[in-house]
Amino acid sequence: MIALSVVLGFFNEYKAEKIIDDLRQSVSLKAVVIRDGKPAEIDSRLVVPGDIVSVYVGDIVPADMRVIESKDVEVNESVLTGESFAVEKSPASIDIKHPTAQQLTNYFFMSTVIVHGSGRGVVVATGRQTQFGSISRSLARSRPETEFQRGVRKYGNMLITLALALVIGIFALNALVGHPLIDSMLFSLAVAVGLVPELMPAIVTISLSQAARRMAKKHVVVKRQVSIEDFGNMDILCTDKTGTLTSGSISLKEYWSCTENRDQRILEYSLLCNSAAVGEKITGNPMDVAIWEYAHSNGIRENLKSYSIVEQIPFDYQRRMMSAVVKTGTGLILITKGAPESVVPRCKHAELDGESRPIDALQNTINSKLAEHSAAGYRTLAIAYRRVEPKRSYSAEEESDLTFLGLLIFTDPPKKDARQAFDKLKELGVDVKILTGDNELVAAKICEELSIPVYRVVKGSELNQMSLTEIRAAAEETTIFARITPEQKLDIIKALKANKHVVGFMGDGVNDAPALFEADVGLSVDSAVDVSKDAADIVLLHKDLLVLANGIEEGRKIFGNTTKYILMGTSSNFGNMFSAAGASLFLPFLPMLPMQILFMNLFYDVANMTLPSDNVDEEYTKLPRHWDIAFVRKFTLFFGPFSSLYDFLTFGIMLFIFNASPALFHSGWFVESFWTEVLVIFVIRTRRIPFFTSRPGKWLTALTLSCVAIGTILPFTVLGNFLGFTPLPIEYWALLILMVATYLLLVDAGKVFFYKICRF
Amino acid sequence: MGRMNMSYSDLLLWWSVSISWSAIFLIVVSLYLYWDRHKRHLEGAGILTRFSLRDFVFVWVLTGLLGLYIVSIYRGSSTIFAAGNIVVEVILLVYTFGKRIRK
Repeated sequence: MIALSVVLGFFNEYKAEKIIDDLRQSVSLKAVVIRDGKPAEIDSRLVVPGDIVSVYVGDIVPADMRVIESKDVEVNESVLTGESFAVEKSPASIDIKHPTAQQLTNYFFMSTVIVHGSGRGVVVATGRQTQFGSISRSLARSRPETEFQRGVRKYGNMLITLALALVIGIFALNALVGHPLIDSMLFSLAVAVGLVPELMPAIVTISLSQAARRMAKKHVVVKRQVSIEDFGNMDILCTDKTGTLTSGSISLKEYWSCTENRDQRILEYSLLCNSAAVGEKITGNPMDVAIWEYAHSNGIRENLKSYSIVEQIPFDYQRRMMSAVVKTGTGLILITKGAPESVVPRCKHAELDGESRPIDALQNTINSKLAEHSAAGYRTLAIAYRRVEPKRSYSAEEESDLTFLGLLIFTDPPKKDARQAFDKLKELGVDVKILTGDNELVAAKICEELSIPVYRVVKGSELNQMSLTEIRAAAEETTIFARITPEQKLDIIKALKANKHVVGFMGDGVNDAPALFEADVGLSVDSAVDVSKDAADIVLLHKDLLVLANGIEEGRKIFGNTTKYILMGTSSNFGNMFSAAGASLFLPFLPMLPMQILFMNLFYDVANMTLPSDNVDEEYTKLPRHWDIAFVRKFTLFFGPFSSLYDFLTFGIMLFIFNASPALFHSGWFVESFWTEVLVIFVIRTRRIPFFTSRPGKWLTALTLSCVAIGTILPFTVLGNFLGFTPLPIEYWALLILMVATYLLLVDAGKVFFYKICRF
Repeated sequence: MGRMNMSYSDLLLWWSVSISWSAIFLIVVSLYLYWDRHKRHLEGAGILTRFSLRDFVFVWVLTGLLGLYIVSIYRGSSTIFAAGNIVVEVILLVYTFGKRIRK
């Protein structure tokens, strides 16, 4: 046990170090700081509070900084917030009480990426004191106990209590009735040891290894095997949005013109007025890239051959638009594409079914469409154009008197199989909650597309105001937690665990790592950042979310078979030990020798070795189940006495029919006890009718029957002789067959009663 | 199987008490589980399942078996023991297949 603890301790330490190392690696970069009035490039780890740092496109921000200067600067903060769209930063102060990181538009945060423009900031926090650093702090601790581990611990405590009570009770009673003290002590210890399911660690390990192998074939890597059972028992799956439910990249959802007949020129013009570099790979502004990807997949590119681009007027943040002068078959046109709030006011007309009309007539239609898309969390760009005369060069001044053509609508779409996967999760009794740094509208839209019913939406700023009790209540009722920080994700997971749920969390960003670490089951995807994969228990190698359902079913089968072993082992052992304890009081000799008790216990465990491969009834995998020690206790108290009853019957037969010597008595009880204990597996392994409506696994059947055969012939062998057994008379076998058949049928009838009363 | 051997006959009472004790313990546990379920239903934590006397079939059979085993051991009668077991097995088989296979 000490060696095991050392190995486990080392392993945990190593994992924690690796996570921290990944975090460190991801931020080991250079930074441009202004020191003594001069810019100097230094290792980003040497940046200190008070430094003024310049940041440019492509830079990773080296520390948390207050923005003091910005020039069209946009930052991708998905590493912290999960939001796919870049955020604009400026020095302007904000007036929000208890702002979340996402609301601090006048701060740069460590490890976020500058995607546009440049800026300067004064460092306010470095290393572990930063928002990013707080993530590493939360990971540098021991992994919390999972529900499965808690269950095993409680079960262990129950066995220890029972064993202690038996040792003390049996020893005291045996001593009182005058049995030798040493014999009484050895016997009571053997009875207590007999109660322990020694092979449980082996059974659990075999089950988990087999499941991990099966899951690996489905491209699911199980990093921490103990999480498989919790995967099956999980009743709430919290998931990040970006990169897990959605593809994590922006795509063009659709384009819209003022009539029902969509004008394909919207798409053609947006390809002509586009800043993306199109080669083997399309790179550049994500929205421009998305337009090209849409065009490629819809075969629009061919239509562009009749146009040629004459000049481009690049995008800038003052205008919030870009333009291109394009030669068409009928002359030159200027195409303008940009933020609707900038482009629409510059339009005097709008096209409706190819006819140009004053925009005033269509203003309401355009505004309501924009409001609708905004409410749905979509991003939009407007496309407009005007005819221009040929001249040497064009400027932004030409961007007026435009004709509005339509809108481009962008989204971060859900993964193709996400809906099917979540439907399956619903069938399996798993509730889904979205925990995202993104805004609530986008999250609500994703839920709508995935048919996830939204009961309540809570924002990070609201969560900040809640007490722990309120968070626990909110965690129970809420479907979407939007604009939340990594710490808040952690708080929600903790609250759900405190509410007795088995909680899974699926995420792919650095901001998800603390929640992945805290959850009973941390699930990540292969495209996730290393920190996230390190913190996860299970990594999905394929983007296919349907493997989630397979994994859950696999986990439930494992839990089902582990539970069978625990229930059968504890109840049978309890029954046998109860009989042994009772018999020791009135028998003039020990009912079974300590070595025989231990041998039977071990041999019984061998018969159970193939339980991990046993079939699990379909209804068992339909709903999540939880460790319920009260249920194990009830099961033990109910089914244990069945075997005791037949043990006492055997004692009666051996004593009063066969006038048995101690050796014959031991042999008779060993065989009866072994038969009943092993064969009852077939009854208890299912709630259905054994063999007829629920077939046991073939390996379980083969091994169990083989063990029964070996146990039967054991008293006739040299080993049996060594253990103190003696051959049994033929009449005894006839009685035994009748007795065991009645026992199995009686247990089966009792099972119907028990499961009607005790739900599990 | 012949008449009871008298070497251990002084243990017969102890044995009867022991076997009865395990059967009574089982019946008491069953009643406790039923009562616990009913209590939880009254507290609003569970749905009370409708029970019929047939649901307690194993309790009636158990009581009958206890009588059978004590009588056959006391009388040392293999015939009573075998016949009683066979009758009980038939009852339980009818119960098992008659009621549950339809489900």
